[in-house]
Amino acid sequence: MSHSGNPDSPSSPAKERLVFKRRGVQIFGLGWQDVIRIFFGGNASLAIIILILICFFLAKEAFLFFPDHHRDLNSYRQSGQEFVGFMGEEVTAHTNLYSSANIAYFAEVNRTSRVEDTILRSYRSVLANVENRSSKTWGRLEREIDALEEVEDDLSDLDPETEEDVAEIASLTEEKRRLEKEIPPLREKLKREVNTILSWDEIWDLGVGAEEPPADSIPGIREAVLFEAFPDAEEEHPFIEKTKQISKEKKAAAAAELAEFKETIKGMQAVVRPLKDLERELKEPALENKKEITSFSTAPERRDAWLKGAEATRDPEEKARMLARAEEVVIKEPDYAAINQVFYDAITRHASIAAPLEVEMKTLFDKLPTPAGVVTKSAKENLKRAGVFYDRFQESMASNRKKIREWSHDHPVTVVESVSAFLVGKNWTTNSSWHDFYGLLPLFTGSLLISIIALTVSVPFSIAAAIYVNQLSSFREQSFIKPAIEFIGAIPSVVLGFFGILVFGEALRNISQVEWLQWFPGFPMAERLTILNAGLLLAFMAVPTIFTLTEDALNNVPQAFTENSLAMGATKLQTVFRVVVPTAVSGVIAAVLLGFGRIIGETMVVLLVAGNKIKIPDFTEGLGVVTQPAHTMTGIIAQELGEVDSGSLHWRALFMVGMVLFVISLLVNFAAQRVLKKFQKI
Amino acid sequence: MPDQESEETLSPEHSSASTSAQQPDLADVVIEVDDVNFSYVKGTDVLRDITMNIKRGEVTALIGPSGCGKSTLLRCLNRMNDLIPTAAITKGEIRILDTNVYDPKVDPIELRKHVGMVFQKYNPFPKSIYENVAFGLRIQGIKKKSVLDEAVERSLKSAGLWNEVKDRLDTSGLGLSGGQQQRLCIARTIAVEPKIVLMDEPCSALDPISTTIIEELITQLKEEFTIVIVTHNMQQATRVSDKTAYFYLGELIEMDDTIRIFNSPSRKETEDYISGRFG
Repeated sequence: MSHSGNPDSPSSPAKERLVFKRRGVQIFGLGWQDVIRIFFGGNASLAIIILILICFFLAKEAFLFFPDHHRDLNSYRQSGQEFVGFMGEEVTAHTNLYSSANIAYFAEVNRTSRVEDTILRSYRSVLANVENRSSKTWGRLEREIDALEEVEDDLSDLDPETEEDVAEIASLTEEKRRLEKEIPPLREKLKREVNTILSWDEIWDLGVGAEEPPADSIPGIREAVLFEAFPDAEEEHPFIEKTKQISKEKKAAAAAELAEFKETIKGMQAVVRPLKDLERELKEPALENKKEITSFSTAPERRDAWLKGAEATRDPEEKARMLARAEEVVIKEPDYAAINQVFYDAITRHASIAAPLEVEMKTLFDKLPTPAGVVTKSAKENLKRAGVFYDRFQESMASNRKKIREWSHDHPVTVVESVSAFLVGKNWTTNSSWHDFYGLLPLFTGSLLISIIALTVSVPFSIAAAIYVNQLSSFREQSFIKPAIEFIGAIPSVVLGFFGILVFGEALRNISQVEWLQWFPGFPMAERLTILNAGLLLAFMAVPTIFTLTEDALNNVPQAFTENSLAMGATKLQTVFRVVVPTAVSGVIAAVLLGFGRIIGETMVVLLVAGNKIKIPDFTEGLGVVTQPAHTMTGIIAQELGEVDSGSLHWRALFMVGMVLFVISLLVNFAAQRVLKKFQKI
Repeated sequence: MPDQESEETLSPEHSSASTSAQQPDLADVVIEVDDVNFSYVKGTDVLRDITMNIKRGEVTALIGPSGCGKSTLLRCLNRMNDLIPTAAITKGEIRILDTNVYDPKVDPIELRKHVGMVFQKYNPFPKSIYENVAFGLRIQGIKKKSVLDEAVERSLKSAGLWNEVKDRLDTSGLGLSGGQQQRLCIARTIAVEPKIVLMDEPCSALDPISTTIIEELITQLKEEFTIVIVTHNMQQATRVSDKTAYFYLGELIEMDDTIRIFNSPSRKETEDYISGRFG
């Protein structure tokens, strides 16, 4: 490389060579500067090489999923499990319909005794509160009463005639006298205490959203609590007993009134029994078939393992044993036609069950009250849903009947079927004794719903905050708000998840009980860990990303635009909304996209807070769907990857989910880059 | 010393000339700057004792070396200096159309609708040509299409741009050439029909041909508007302006008819500057 290194070239004079010679240490003709350059360049390229390796590994593991999954689906069909699964779908469709009708019925029945139930609930919670506050005296009194009973028992066991017992009798009598003297004042004390406590307001705090008992029942509750303060009281206070009785009677009366409703529901339950029985009956042979097929497909592997073991061992005895075991492995392909005969035989039976089921369900469904014919909100909603479920039930019956009729165990599973079984499969079931399903849809909808909530909440907040900080705030506010929002990004997501479980989830549920918020879909919420909860927390997490990038975009708008606009007599707000924000709009879009990338990739918070129920949320609830729990693509990987055998189908399925996430992030980032590039051209 | 001499010989004539010129049409004075001091940061005045009158329909050029305060004065006229928190007039007052513009009752937003400004660096908004010109009207709440159409066409015609852009009003204003963009900015400014147009070195970023066009435009516009222009280009001042004011180190050295300033300035400093001996 360097000619200066050659001192023997005769043509050039020594003086000139020295002038041009490189200075400093030389390693293979490279100077110090070059070494540093190579070092940094090497670091950069190392990162890229690792990235490529990760992508390659991920892609390899993920795409091997498809052939395995294809085989698995084939065996699902060949074992006849698929056939039984069709019936299972019918049963599920029926169950959905039945249970919402059932909920509606009980909501109606319990409505009539609502006042009494409220009184009883309030009584129980006030009593618990009071017991808690006076636990010291209450406990002591209880102990003394127990002790007195014990002494009396002992006394009755002893014989006053026997000499050795006389001394003991004396001491016990003494004890008894002491206790008898002590208990009445203690009882008085407890009574006084409970009386005082009952006058405290916090005792009557029944929790956010709990219904207040009617005013005229409060003296009764008070008295009952006081009565209960005699821990030896065997019976309940007559007021409580009476209330219980009324509640029971009212329920009975309501049930009598709704007898037809009840009959309908009972009829629904009865009419599906034959189908359920048939399904259960067919499950057994299907499982056996599955075992046989699995054993056949793994036989060569098992034999190879024995043979390999035999080869490796030195002990001749052991070797002989292993070879014998290898011989024992039978590789016998099951006779698919024979093992599936039972299902073909069941086709006509199913037809004879399904037809009357459909007819009877129609009459039963028509007998159900209409949503307008019931009173409570819950009953109305559930009957409305029952309508949707009835349509679905009909669809399910029709489509599954066709599938059952046309089913054949030796139709090979097509590639489209196997890919769509993953991408739009509705079940993600693992470690099941029946069959494992790897359908992405429940996870994908969970992730999507959470992201949508997070975006709809965080985008307006963070963009508004960015506009305020960048354009409207004073320097002082700016120097406070900016670091504060950026600090959110520094909160570890596990801490945020923890907060979501303990504080936010509970608070949300309490808020959802509040009377005047009941118009909100899905309120009151039964769950603490919901899509809504996770979405709101993720919105909080996405704020710093969207805020910072939006603020940058606004900062990039040339000051001259603002000046020009103001010089034309525009107000500050007009300038912001007509000039600055429109100019920065692509930067803002990119910020939102990157925020979305942040949200969809977040794992810890959703794993802790989303409720982790692997089921497609029930969209019949309308917007209230957000109050259901769900599982996510990121969450499932974090939760299950640690527990699966490497190389198994489940393992590869998880990698495939990761691949889907990877592609989503890639697309989002790509889109953001494109939008930003367009922005920079201005 | 020659300085004093020239002042002695010229000042009577000068003062008589100015009084005779001003007295009859005092009603025509639209901008009165009355003994104004201005500072960006408290305690250091960058304009001192400025007193000048600008008449309706005239083009007034403000010249002087960099940092002499001519742009600052220009920005005082439409209160653009309000954007700098500590900047303030510390003495005197500026009256535009007989209203003290620094009166607390004056809304700077309203003021700027009447005192338009064209900046040194042309910068149309990243909107269509049409929307750029209509901007000023839209922010005043005018939505009627016919009014906007009419105003856009009139302004673009006044700015001499109509024939070049009439077929592509929907395309981005940023797609025009530099000179066209600056004329678009002028059209945008005059669309709201201000009384006064302030120009802060409008040609300094343009090529000679575009400069010529803009200069011609200025001479046409003075029929309708009172124009105050800051320029570094002495030839430009002679070509476009009726009056010229020479500033040096925050003081108004001299203001007079342009011809007089460039032919026989009354002050030595002015002569030194215009003859290029310094600055």
